[in-house]
Amino acid sequence: MIGAAVYLIRRSLVNATRRRVARLRQPKYLIGFVVGSLYLYWLVLRPRAPTGVPTGGAVGGELLGVGLLAVLVGLNWLFGSAETPFSFSLAETQYLFPAPLTRRQVIDFKLLRSQLPLLLSAVVTALIFSSGHVSALRALRVIGLWVVYATLQLHYAGTALLRASLTQHGVTGWRRQLGTLVALGSVVLLGWWGVRQAVPGVVAAFQRGATPGSAALASALHAGVLGVLLWPLRAVVALPLADGAAAFARQAPAALVVLAAHYLWVVRSTLGFEEAAVEHAVKVARKLEAMRQGRSPYRAIRAPRAPGRIRLRLAPTGAPSRAIVWKNAVGATRDLSPWTFLLIAGLAIGGPLGLTGGSIIGWDILAVILLVLGSVALLFGPLTVRFDLRRDLEMLDVLRGYPVRGRQIVGGEVAAPVTLIGLVVWTCLAGGFAASAGHHGPGLPPLADRLAIFLALLPATAAVLLVLVLVQNAVVLLFPAWVSIGRDRAVGLEATGQRILLMAGGMVALALALVPGAIIGALTALAAELVGLPGLWWVTLGAAAGSGVVVFEGLLAVHLLGGVFDRLEPAATGVG
Amino acid sequence: MIEVQRLTKLYGTLEAVRDLSFTAAPGEVLGLVGPNGAGKTTTLRSIAGIVRPTEGTIRVGGHDVQRAPVAAKRLLAFMPDEPHLFDYLTVEEHLRFTARLYQVADVERRLPALLGELELGEKAQVLPGELSRGMKQKLVIACGLLHDPQVLLFDEPLTGLDPAGIRRMKQTIKERARQGGTVVLSSHLLHLVEEICTRVLIMNRGCRVTFGTIEEILTERPDLRGRSLEDIFLSLTGA
Repeated sequence: MIGAAVYLIRRSLVNATRRRVARLRQPKYLIGFVVGSLYLYWLVLRPRAPTGVPTGGAVGGELLGVGLLAVLVGLNWLFGSAETPFSFSLAETQYLFPAPLTRRQVIDFKLLRSQLPLLLSAVVTALIFSSGHVSALRALRVIGLWVVYATLQLHYAGTALLRASLTQHGVTGWRRQLGTLVALGSVVLLGWWGVRQAVPGVVAAFQRGATPGSAALASALHAGVLGVLLWPLRAVVALPLADGAAAFARQAPAALVVLAAHYLWVVRSTLGFEEAAVEHAVKVARKLEAMRQGRSPYRAIRAPRAPGRIRLRLAPTGAPSRAIVWKNAVGATRDLSPWTFLLIAGLAIGGPLGLTGGSIIGWDILAVILLVLGSVALLFGPLTVRFDLRRDLEMLDVLRGYPVRGRQIVGGEVAAPVTLIGLVVWTCLAGGFAASAGHHGPGLPPLADRLAIFLALLPATAAVLLVLVLVQNAVVLLFPAWVSIGRDRAVGLEATGQRILLMAGGMVALALALVPGAIIGALTALAAELVGLPGLWWVTLGAAAGSGVVVFEGLLAVHLLGGVFDRLEPAATGVG
Repeated sequence: MIEVQRLTKLYGTLEAVRDLSFTAAPGEVLGLVGPNGAGKTTTLRSIAGIVRPTEGTIRVGGHDVQRAPVAAKRLLAFMPDEPHLFDYLTVEEHLRFTARLYQVADVERRLPALLGELELGEKAQVLPGELSRGMKQKLVIACGLLHDPQVLLFDEPLTGLDPAGIRRMKQTIKERARQGGTVVLSSHLLHLVEEICTRVLIMNRGCRVTFGTIEEILTERPDLRGRSLEDIFLSLTGA
């Protein structure tokens, strides 16, 4: 079995490399390859002084590593999907499942196949942080990072299987996962208690300075309940941070124990998942049989309840472009339930307030968290929420068949992510403003000024968001052959190079689009200040005027891109 | 209802359709027949406004597909051979989305009947990824029929359907034509064409080989009289 897996990995790698080399004859791939290579050189191999990345069990390195892992694991438990990273492709299903292999062997095969991308990621990460220098220690660091990535991947698979079993197998799933759920609940409660115990001491230490603060934080993570709960994270993180072969050898057993425990958990969960599925199916079959024989009242067998989700209504008549907005909003929110929002709100608000006992520091932390979240949503939302032409252009045939103008389709496609991300950004801004409203400290501007800035940010963020999303969609329409359309993303050096070029072009377009708005906004603000508008209200007026100009530009761009959409030729695949 | 005049379509240097002209009247079922690469799908996609003709004009219900695409597209429905669906919309959401695009005000009344007719009732809340190919095909057909189109374009309409689905599809096509609709279908299944089409357009390498009823074709080629459509097709296309 291992031989077959290794053969598949080896041949896939060789054939993929050959294909990539062959397509470099096309200019778009060659240019992308050159740019990608230059980027890789700049990132990894360019001569530079050694970076200040913490090494050898340094306190900062461990804190950073454990903190990062804790956040990733926590986010996965809270918002992860029920789809494991080990989903089988159609080809794997077709070849592996009918093959004379045990279920365990099939899982091992899949695990083995997934290791090459993890190893490559570990190599790239190690090279980036080692200034391109190669040494025995760097090789150990690659192995350490590989163990971290593999453990994390197995952890994601385990949580996904747990989630899937709970949602698909009814009572059987809950009964079989009871032990895991109890353990999880205990970890959460103990963790909360541990954090509450540690927070006052750590906050007090940070008020004395960064060094004692970091020392207190490191000490809190090693002592008491938190020390026990975080041991697996520390054990795994210690491996890539080891400062020599001896330290690596000392840390390796603990890290491998964590990795092995995860492997056993995933294998047992996979086998248990299938048993639970069979048990659940047998129960349903018995129930049906009882109904047929009249031993049980006839009633529909309920399908496993899908988690509740946000329901968006669409009226059958009205502007057709709103149907496009609705379609994309449904897609983007399909996996989100109202509970997710409640959970996020609970964590964002309850976390800082609960840990600080509702003090003014807690409200300040909350305001900062919300402003940071809003900024992240504004800058990265347009890159990640791809429910627009970036996803729909692969359905160009279908879109072109609708009785709708190109500009209406482009407008609808752009409006969906702008609306969704805009709602998040504005909610965060409003929350941040509200959280800071009760604070009147000497370091803060007066409430009226804060209100003026808040009101200025509303149109300004909307305008920036519109341009960011428009640029992304314009790139897809103007250079469809250069971007990944649909769900899958192209990989490789040439794809990286293409993305860099498009990103640079997008940044230039963004800057150009914002210039007229910035000028008009600045002039309006200046005029408002000259006429003596009180406080910072001239900022609000300037932002509104500048944003108006940008929105006008956006509407013009939608009109022009609509024409491009109407003229865009679907790939010549339909020659019948 | 459909007027195609001197349609030519180039993909790069490949001439997919060359100087093709034909008409299809209300109540008619026109069959497009030809070997692979004959230009059948390109012709259907051009009529549907999906691809732009390199030369020539296409009118649907009097509307030029290039100059008044919205008015023309409101009248028609195109059912491709490969069902393309949005992977993040359920069966019911696909129908509601289509209803809004075509302004079907009474969608609430039509939905249950349509879902029932195409045996999609139990799958209403299911995503396309969980549907079989035949079910996906049925959903595409349901979306196409939702707004009562006057012109129906089918590209290999029976692909992926089970025997009951095939029978129902044939009945649907005949029924729509009987009610005054114009149907154009492309198919390699010559017995289907023989059974339900009132006229046949045989194409080869992008060109029209012959066009008319079977009787008209046989009048042009009396040497083929008494032979099956399959023999006529093979003889005319040299396949």
